[in-house]
Amino acid sequence: MRALALGPLLLLLAATSDSGEIGRIKSSVGTANVERGAASLSASIGQELMPGDWLVTGKDGRMSLTFVDDTRFAVGPDSRIGLKKFEYDPTTQKGSFIAKVERGSIAVVSGRITKSGRSGMQIETPDSVLEPHGTRFIVVVRK
Amino acid sequence: MVLLPDEDGGHGEVSILKAGGSETLVSEPNTRATIDGARPSIHPLGAKGLRPEEASLLGALPPPSKSFTLYFLEGTTEMTADSAPVLDALRAEIASRPGAEVQVTGHTDTVGSESENDALSLKRAEEIRSLLASRGFDLSIMTAVGRGERELKVPTADNVSSPVNRRVEVIVR
Repeated sequence: MRALALGPLLLLLAATSDSGEIGRIKSSVGTANVERGAASLSASIGQELMPGDWLVTGKDGRMSLTFVDDTRFAVGPDSRIGLKKFEYDPTTQKGSFIAKVERGSIAVVSGRITKSGRSGMQIETPDSVLEPHGTRFIVVVRK
Repeated sequence: MVLLPDEDGGHGEVSILKAGGSETLVSEPNTRATIDGARPSIHPLGAKGLRPEEASLLGALPPPSKSFTLYFLEGTTEMTADSAPVLDALRAEIASRPGAEVQVTGHTDTVGSESENDALSLKRAEEIRSLLASRGFDLSIMTAVGRGERELKVPTADNVSSPVNRRVEVIVR
């Protein structure tokens, strides 16, 4: 019961800007969508991203994006990437970011969140969890 | 997973955690870790380098954010003459980036009270934001905040006039 009550409170605390924006789409090619709840929005340049969004590309699709802590992503074709959690305080430059690569590929340049401590950023894959410590890397989930 | 050197030549590390609780640290750049068995297998990229789809993914990353600093006359929201070319460079940078976001943060020196400086720093940031808006950039891509005298570029005692601390920092992403 306590965990249920905490959920909405944490979400409120996480909203560091008025809109709750955590990042924006910087490029989009082919079939590239942002899934938000039941809605599927075609990924457009400049589009704002929210915690909980899924980045979904088709076989001909790609997109790139930046986050407010300066993390950068490039998403490859046939991918499904969840932005499960993103909390960031621009003043203290600390926060927590959990992304999930359900399938497909991403290139990542980590941002200020990875300097928050050991588990500042986590990338979940079907059979592991990756914790980057300030770096550039590629994750490919093979079928 | 492939660990690469950073763009500035340094490199970080990636820990690989498996469900059983094992942890493997990948700390050498240009290393490929294959994570399907109980333990990741780790090999240098070697002469073969990245696969073509990996290389194109890397090439698709957005450029790093870029910062600009504009300076102000004491107690005012008036930019110094030297800052005019920086403002031009800032405008060019925003224009060159599809889907650009602009984060404008105002600062002051320690002359005046904290609350006056909070207000002045925000006014400086808003001045730059509206200057950019008047040059055709959409207000919705730009945020303005004031940090008062909390984040001095050069630390000083209270009530010290400091041209380098009277500034607006702009990050273009």
